[in-house]
Amino acid sequence: MFTLSLSTLRDRRQLFAGALVAIALGVALVQASLHVLTSVSDPVIPAGLSAAERDEMREGFVGASVVMGLQAPLVVFLAVFVVGSTCSFAVAQRRRDLALLRLLGAGRGQTRRLLVTESLVLGAAGALCGAPLGVVMTWIQTRVLEQVGFVPAGFQPVYWNWGAVLAAGATGAGIALLGSWNAARRAGRVRPLEAMADTGAAARVMTPGRWCAGVLSLALSALLVAGGQAADPIGAITIAMALSVVGAVALSALSPLVVPLVARLFGLVFRRSLLGGLAEANIRDGARRNASVAAPLITLVALVLGLSGALGVLARSIGVEQERLTRGDLVVTSADGASAARLAGIPGVADVSSQLAVPASVTAKVRKDGARAARPHTFDERVVAVDGAAYERARTLAPTSGSLADLHGDAVAVGPAVSAEGFSTPRVGDTVTVTADGVERVLRVVAVLPETLEIGDEFLIAKDALPTALLAAAPGESIVTVAPGASVDEVAERIRAAGIGDTESVAQWAQGKADVQQDGNDKVFAVLLGLAGVYALIGVINALVIATAERRTEFAVARLSGLERRQVVRMAVVEACAVATIGLVLGGLVAAAGMAGMAKSTAAATGTAIVVVPWGTLAATVLGAFAVTVGAAVLTARAATRERPAALAAART
Amino acid sequence: MGQNLLDRAEGSQAARAGDVALEMRQVVRSYGTGEARVRALDGVDLTLDAGSWVAVMGPSGSGKSTLLQCAAGLDGVDAGQVLLFGEDLAGADDRRLTRLRRDTVGFVFQNFNLVASLTAEQNVALPLRLAGRRVGGAEVRRALDGVGLGDRGRHRPRELSGGQQQRVAIARAMVAKPKVLFADEPTGALDSTSARVVLSLLRRMVDGAGQTIAMVTHDPIAAAAADAVVFLADGRVVDRMERPSARRVAERLASLEV
Repeated sequence: MFTLSLSTLRDRRQLFAGALVAIALGVALVQASLHVLTSVSDPVIPAGLSAAERDEMREGFVGASVVMGLQAPLVVFLAVFVVGSTCSFAVAQRRRDLALLRLLGAGRGQTRRLLVTESLVLGAAGALCGAPLGVVMTWIQTRVLEQVGFVPAGFQPVYWNWGAVLAAGATGAGIALLGSWNAARRAGRVRPLEAMADTGAAARVMTPGRWCAGVLSLALSALLVAGGQAADPIGAITIAMALSVVGAVALSALSPLVVPLVARLFGLVFRRSLLGGLAEANIRDGARRNASVAAPLITLVALVLGLSGALGVLARSIGVEQERLTRGDLVVTSADGASAARLAGIPGVADVSSQLAVPASVTAKVRKDGARAARPHTFDERVVAVDGAAYERARTLAPTSGSLADLHGDAVAVGPAVSAEGFSTPRVGDTVTVTADGVERVLRVVAVLPETLEIGDEFLIAKDALPTALLAAAPGESIVTVAPGASVDEVAERIRAAGIGDTESVAQWAQGKADVQQDGNDKVFAVLLGLAGVYALIGVINALVIATAERRTEFAVARLSGLERRQVVRMAVVEACAVATIGLVLGGLVAAAGMAGMAKSTAAATGTAIVVVPWGTLAATVLGAFAVTVGAAVLTARAATRERPAALAAART
Repeated sequence: MGQNLLDRAEGSQAARAGDVALEMRQVVRSYGTGEARVRALDGVDLTLDAGSWVAVMGPSGSGKSTLLQCAAGLDGVDAGQVLLFGEDLAGADDRRLTRLRRDTVGFVFQNFNLVASLTAEQNVALPLRLAGRRVGGAEVRRALDGVGLGDRGRHRPRELSGGQQQRVAIARAMVAKPKVLFADEPTGALDSTSARVVLSLLRRMVDGAGQTIAMVTHDPIAAAAADAVVFLADGRVVDRMERPSARRVAERLASLEV
């Protein structure tokens, strides 16, 4: 039996190489994720830095570990999905071989054992190749993090942790085994009769297992769409990611149902040419094959479009929310509080609400992450000094408890950031300790503001609670309301002329907030989908190579019936386009469903349904999908038609 | 008509005349459902004596391939009995059918069905290996010698001509010494010279070793090499011809196809 495996290995190089590449890269990627995740979760902060630098660095690491915490499960999912589907596809491709063995006297158990042994060997080989590749991947993933600024330049991750290496290897080998286990079980039921049929009786594509997986994941996707009301940024991204994943699984499982429709579409488009008709028949006939190639593409498209859409919505909603929460005509950014104080004297200015960022720390008793006891925690970023009454006039965000009108004297208001960062908020009436300029003061909480999409400020302090010198030096933003009858442009011009600071309209200012968020989102996107996306793309190419390599005989017969080699390649290209279409349409459908859910949730949160179609990403995805599938199809079809057709059609391959 | 024309006492030249290798009684096999339901076999009675070579002929769609598959236990039957050396295949489970394929039956196909990645020797040894037997090189070489390919053991199928590939396939089918050899259009993909070589090889196996062969063919010349020809039309046995000649077979076939 082992000779048979070995010789099959020689004859079906593409099949085994494809599975091996999928496993090895999957293992490497999982290993890299684990290494980087553990490295950023427990970073070594170099000594000799100032407190501020250390804080900044620590914050970067926290961001990195949050994003890597999302990336790691995504990578594991992709590895499971790509390895599993590649391995089961590889087994399905050998159905006729197995039927022949059965005809020659192989029992069910024997065919099963053959396949399981093969996948064990493949899995082990994949894990072995994956481990050194994982070191390279760890390096690449770290450079990506460095590039987007999550980790300091020159950050050294852990490159070799036996736990991570073994876990990644076990994942790869285990999934290879599981993927072919199921297929092997089915293969055990292959009837010897199938070897007699000339074209290999088409196995039923929509197996009960496939139906079950498809319908269940579809139901779960529907739940996710319905439940996608989480306004919290990380929550929204997580749900978008989960939906992309589950939706992609659902539509991949059900994709054979769509194949005939797409085949029809292509038949109509190319109905004038002979090749069109042939391709239509082939697309329909190869439903299993085309569905297998489309599966990783569906996932990739769903993830890319779904995530970039979700991140786009998140950024846009922050802009919309900030604009809605602000009552005024202009926002002036000034370098210090002294300049901001001059705003009120500018002719045409009716009202000013300045928010000055003061370097001060606040110590409050708070609980985090469901801990029972509240512990003193020091928020040492900064506090925002405001005039309570003016702030209340310029911002429409109503406190959940207390009143901003009381924000004067020894008073403090809890800002949106405290709960956004996962802390329980202090209650109205509680006291907190504020340290500014070395002076400690105990202030009473008079209001608690609700969480907003933008993380916002941690604490708002009445200006009169802080030393004047500190305020005069603090940079800040001021919301200016122009007096009735005065021209906003003229007032803006006067402010600029007075050298107080930059002015922009509230809309421009809110858009600026959205842009800042989008910048951050782009980084998150790069970390999440950089390597993982490349892996999914390799999965697409892989499946296509396996599928085409197995069609040598079919191509040879087509050529014997009079097609030129060029025409055979073109036929393969038309089919590859069909597969790309299936992947794009179904993946797009998943992303669109996610977008519909987010439109509903943003309508609830901001009053406007926000839909962001990431046109740039969409265009790149469409072009990329066609380029990659067509490119791979041309190369593999050319390779598969290199031999003389007569030799191939005669010999059973 | 015709069922009673089949008479097991008649006409076998086999060494062990009287031993019944295969008996099919009122076998029915249908495919498809509803309107599209087709009775491929519609009450077939057939007896094959041990040591004889029977060719099954008939127009396309007459059910001859189905007959072969049902007789060999590759396909189940809807009604009736298939007895292979007294063993009823109708109720056999996969384990018994697997054992049957290992010990009792051998197959030869129109398209050879050799494993492309294995050498001729490895192909021939495959059934023995699958049966879990230790394979001696001598045994395999003898089988290849038997089909006149003793010197081609190390070649892969692609390096052999069609006729040579079919002879390797015959060696593979015969290496486990099956009681019945089922051949599905064994000369269908061969030129006439190669076909003659293959047919005389089969003839030698019947005459020399008392091999039982059931062969489906559409070629009157191939059919004429057999001891008897059974004609099938619309899923029923319509005629049986002993000691056939190519001309008589062609005429009978032509009359069926009108």
